[in-house]
Amino acid sequence: MKFLDKQNLALTAVATAIALGCCNFAQAETPSWCGPKKASIALLDGYGGNSWRQVTTASGKEEALKCPSITKYEYADGQGDTQKSISDVKAMAAKGVDALVVFPDAGQAMLPAITSVFKSGKVIVPYRVEAGGQAGTNYTKFVGTDFKNDGQNWGNWIKSVLPQGGNILFVSGPAGNSQGLDELVGLKSVLGPEYKFINPEPFDVTNWDPALTQKVLTAEIAKNSKIDVIVSDFGPSLVGALPLFKQSGRSIPALATSDGNSLGCLWTDVHQDNPDFKLFTVSTENDNVRLAVQWAVAAVTGGTPPTEETFKGPVFENSVTGAPHPVQCRKDLPGQIYLSAELSPEEQTKAVSTK
Amino acid sequence: MNATSNQMSAGPLAGQTFHLPVSREFVTVVISTIALIGVCLLFAPSSLSYGALEGSLPFAALIAIVGLGQLLVVQQGGFDLSLAGGVSLAVVISTHYPQGNNALLFPAVLMAIACAIMAGLANGILVSLFRLNAIVATIGVNALLYGAVFAVSGGVPKTTTTLLAAIAGNRTLGIPNSLYFALAALLVVSFFLKKSAAGRRFEAIGANPLAARAVGLRVQLHQLLAYVFAQLLYCLAGLLLAGITREPTAFQGDSLLLPSVAVVVLGGTSLLGGRGFPISTVIASFFLNQLSQFALAVGVPYSAQTIIQALALGFGIGVYSVRWTINMTRQTEPV
Repeated sequence: MKFLDKQNLALTAVATAIALGCCNFAQAETPSWCGPKKASIALLDGYGGNSWRQVTTASGKEEALKCPSITKYEYADGQGDTQKSISDVKAMAAKGVDALVVFPDAGQAMLPAITSVFKSGKVIVPYRVEAGGQAGTNYTKFVGTDFKNDGQNWGNWIKSVLPQGGNILFVSGPAGNSQGLDELVGLKSVLGPEYKFINPEPFDVTNWDPALTQKVLTAEIAKNSKIDVIVSDFGPSLVGALPLFKQSGRSIPALATSDGNSLGCLWTDVHQDNPDFKLFTVSTENDNVRLAVQWAVAAVTGGTPPTEETFKGPVFENSVTGAPHPVQCRKDLPGQIYLSAELSPEEQTKAVSTK
Repeated sequence: MNATSNQMSAGPLAGQTFHLPVSREFVTVVISTIALIGVCLLFAPSSLSYGALEGSLPFAALIAIVGLGQLLVVQQGGFDLSLAGGVSLAVVISTHYPQGNNALLFPAVLMAIACAIMAGLANGILVSLFRLNAIVATIGVNALLYGAVFAVSGGVPKTTTTLLAAIAGNRTLGIPNSLYFALAALLVVSFFLKKSAAGRRFEAIGANPLAARAVGLRVQLHQLLAYVFAQLLYCLAGLLLAGITREPTAFQGDSLLLPSVAVVVLGGTSLLGGRGFPISTVIASFFLNQLSQFALAVGVPYSAQTIIQALALGFGIGVYSVRWTINMTRQTEPV
């Protein structure tokens, strides 16, 4: 009897677990932004040749396939060629793909192609880079990134580690890039006059190229005997340049930037010899694509659109407080992955190893 | 053709007029460099501090090595646009094949050298045997090399092996190792060009291929080998670049193409071919690198930095053009 009771109890527990599992499974399978209408979706990159894009592409695919109504997922890489990017957009629409998520690297040059696809009745969602135009007229929805928010996050952290003020060196990508300009607006909205920007206005140009970053940092280290904090919007490009401080007999200063496995591992290796090397990172924002995919899928399948309209990159690492995360390093995995991304590190490794 | 003949006759005549123990090209580039150092000392002394030089000289060494490669091709009246692809391919082979494993670095270096020889042969055969325009042929080979870069890397950067980072990035006797490599490349190229019979033939062919063919020199072979040796030098630069920048991109060679031509011109070598000036080319590399460090140290905007470099290049070309005109005038006087 006791045995039977135990058996019944076990069966009930298993049945309950299965039922609960099914519910969770069903919930995971059909997010609210996923409607019932069957559709195909394509992700179009203006330039797909770096690890950030590969992780982002894999993230976009993972997000789209969360919705069982998506029957097909396609991808095209413009390879940095505006003509090819334009023809990719048109070709995908001509092939009968129902929804397109586009990274319009070429900016406004992409708008006519995007508009013509939208006018033909397709769902098209540009994200991250503005192509001009308006939602409802030229495209379904633009999912931008709140770079000012990144600047504010960095600024607030700088205030916490340097409350008396100090010298800030801000380095960004190509000259005049809107991401860097927006981040600077965010930084200045938080920091007072006691924080002095020692770089040429608006930022030191590095093109996000590690060799140029190294040259720029060499000149800045020689010129400025006091650099209290470096702000950079692409942390991994600094990995080769930061040891220059050691060569000059100085400690690496505090660094507010975006995350990357190679940067986390550099901090882990050298922070004990560099007492001033505090690290604060925001997410490198691979998950921006997920929000764009959600908007596109919601529009094409008849799901509920997400509440967020702009992607706000979350804070990721803080070596001082350990919140929300202490500095992360996975030495067993490639340096070119981003542990802040929702995509699992193992999946990212697969993505960046694909040729 | 007329221009190359004038170029040949200008050399000895210039020597007779001024009796300089060194070439005028060398004097020009040295004076320009000393003047730049003076300007740096006055307006941006930080750009000449030990720390700044230690950080920037490895990049000058890279420009010098690719400049020497470009010099060999320019001496044959050619132009090598496949430099960017050659350097980038060496970078990705030396970082992707070993995948961080030092034991695999040596085979990777051998693979990079083999690829460089093949690329050089492709350039050389197209230009010297099939008589294709050098710019067209090397653009085509550059596209092939970038195809190989994508095949190896998928466009994704990889972290350098610790061994390569140490070989290229460390210092010996307080001097960055990359400078020793540049010095070795300079010695080999200078000795070959100036002290070997093959080098003398090489310069004579570059100055006047028709006359060289008439006296029985193997013009096509020398032209072909110029492209092969150039690719080997680009390969060396690529390997060093992979070590100096810890996480190089797959397109790292792009930024070296313009400086490579600039230092050849600033060094006084005529773009029409003929006599080459390896030492002047290497000094011009230091000049060009120091100029960009000066612009960075002064803190001028990025647009002004680019303009300053372009003006320096224009100045280099202008200086040699003016001298050439004076020679022409003097040449006609005795007649």
